[in-house]
Amino acid sequence: MDDLTFYDRLGLPRDATHEEIRRAYRQLVLRFHPDTNMNKGETELFIDIQLAFEHLSDLKKKTDYDQQLPPEQDIISPLNIKTYYSQPSLVRLSEPQLIYTLLELTIQPDTELWVTSTPLNISLVVDCSTSMQGIRLDTVKLTAIDILRRLQPDDIFSLIKFNDRAELLIAPGNLADLKSAEMKVQLLQAGGGTEIFKGLEMGFSQVDQFHSSQRINHIILITDGRTYGDELSCEKLADQASARGIGISALGIGSKWNDKFLDHITSKTGGICKFIPDGGDIRSSILDELTRLGSSLSEQISFNYQTSPDVELSTVYRLQPDPSPLDPISPLILGYMPRHGTMSALFEFVIKEIPKNLTEYVMAKGFFNIEVPHHTVRTKYINRIIITRQITPEPMRQTPPGVILNAMTLFSIFTMQERAREEMNNGDFSKAVRHMENLATNLSQKGEENLAQSVLNEVAYIRHNQSFSEEGEKLIKYGTRSLLLPARSGEN
Amino acid sequence: MIICPNCGNQEMPGALFCKECGTQFTIIGRDPTLTIPSDLADHLHEELSEDNENIVPPTPDDASLSLFIIETGQVIPLEGLTEYTLGRSAEDQPILPDIDLAPYHAYEYGVSRLHASIKISQPNALLIDFGSANGTQLNGQKLAPNKPYPITHGDIFSLGKMQIQLLVNR
Repeated sequence: MDDLTFYDRLGLPRDATHEEIRRAYRQLVLRFHPDTNMNKGETELFIDIQLAFEHLSDLKKKTDYDQQLPPEQDIISPLNIKTYYSQPSLVRLSEPQLIYTLLELTIQPDTELWVTSTPLNISLVVDCSTSMQGIRLDTVKLTAIDILRRLQPDDIFSLIKFNDRAELLIAPGNLADLKSAEMKVQLLQAGGGTEIFKGLEMGFSQVDQFHSSQRINHIILITDGRTYGDELSCEKLADQASARGIGISALGIGSKWNDKFLDHITSKTGGICKFIPDGGDIRSSILDELTRLGSSLSEQISFNYQTSPDVELSTVYRLQPDPSPLDPISPLILGYMPRHGTMSALFEFVIKEIPKNLTEYVMAKGFFNIEVPHHTVRTKYINRIIITRQITPEPMRQTPPGVILNAMTLFSIFTMQERAREEMNNGDFSKAVRHMENLATNLSQKGEENLAQSVLNEVAYIRHNQSFSEEGEKLIKYGTRSLLLPARSGEN
Repeated sequence: MIICPNCGNQEMPGALFCKECGTQFTIIGRDPTLTIPSDLADHLHEELSEDNENIVPPTPDDASLSLFIIETGQVIPLEGLTEYTLGRSAEDQPILPDIDLAPYHAYEYGVSRLHASIKISQPNALLIDFGSANGTQLNGQKLAPNKPYPITHGDIFSLGKMQIQLLVNR
């Protein structure tokens, strides 16, 4: 570790700006501050980070340091980033304009160095409130036993049950006695309320205890209910988990759980949130999630960026591997990268004004960070990227690239349903109904007759009840997301 | 500002679809139909009613039906077909309209490439709008797309902003 430069310690490229240095430091403080950090050996890390920041944040010290720094070794990042734009240029206009950028990330695997499969450090956090009673809990139990039997020697697994309180049913570590562990799962009973924070907190402490850079560290929450009053604590916990490199995914069963809340929590950590409708396949949803984690190369792809003053990044939508809206704040947590696959995200920029006397406008710049579990240490890579366009007085008529058009077809559907749901929340029923009907038209034009019908059913429900049905809202929200799955939009 | 040809919603330049109705704005080929703000089109019939008395239809030729382009005073005879599509030709356009209004500044008036059709039938001819970008009005009334409306001698219709009078020589 001794040959790490101050830049390496902060996870920064050498040409990082003052603002970028400040931001990176702030993130790391959150992650390694002795007050929040329970791991041994990381206090030293924190001191290193402090030292690095002291040098790099002071212009004079930084200049001196830069001068004595040996020339940068060529570490070629395995991450390959392709940038597509909806237009060849920005047009000098007196009004705001939109431009779309699609970033496509692929990995050139360095097979020599990388482990072929990444061991897991996972905590399964299971809601055992009264409503889980019956087929729901029974299926989860059987699936948990299945998981126990499939675990690899390197995997670390814990199981937590929660209702009004949390209980550690299977402690992480070596599963010496598989039989008794299975028995414990068998005896799980449903009863009580749903306090998600209690479950998550315990899950977090189990995963964190065995936190390792060589593993995928993750919490899987399975719930069918709403939590009351502890939402803020959950949010804080998610921030903490994210800073520690621990992902949280949620599987919501039935129609009563709080999708907005869990979407929010999971997206903070780059995890995913899935809807299992009544009668849906609980077992394969859980197993799929484990497979997904096992086949991911990195859970930690983030994008540190800064936009130019008159540019706003209004929407970011991850198209692959799991379609989901992302919070457009820096650092953008893009989530996990599949070992064999692509990650792509669509960015919508609003250009409010183009400064005079420019021929080219940098809309945003920043860098991607990816950490890859290695045989011995986790390796960090940095890719710098500049999102820029030339400025022309007249629009250059050109059909946008196919990947953008494909993305747009589905992104428009996503946007419309988001809009309808927002209007519904604001009590604007007639608008919401109109947009839902437009949505149904668009869906059926795209051959999605089933989903179009669900939307129309929901319109009828709204007319009658002046609100969404809980089932219908989730069906539409997650249904339109799955339209974006690569298998269905993958020609390009 | 981009105005959605389907619903009239306003979007920022650079938008690729309408956030209101989902219509895609992607332009394949050049010269998209010029979108005329809907309020302008709605005022059309008011202007018309003032001008109405001044219009003296010229005597049509031998053709039984003809179109009188009000703005320019030209007459286009309709001959040889039972249905005539109206529109404007553009480059790379696979299907040309039977009656090409491009020479009469159709683009500036907001006429779509395939805008509407006139079908000869008894007792009246029928006017059908093809879901055009700026719509079709008949005597100041906006037509629902893809529905036939009876039209007779002296009726004035507008394709976008282009006003045309139907002349029938019985």
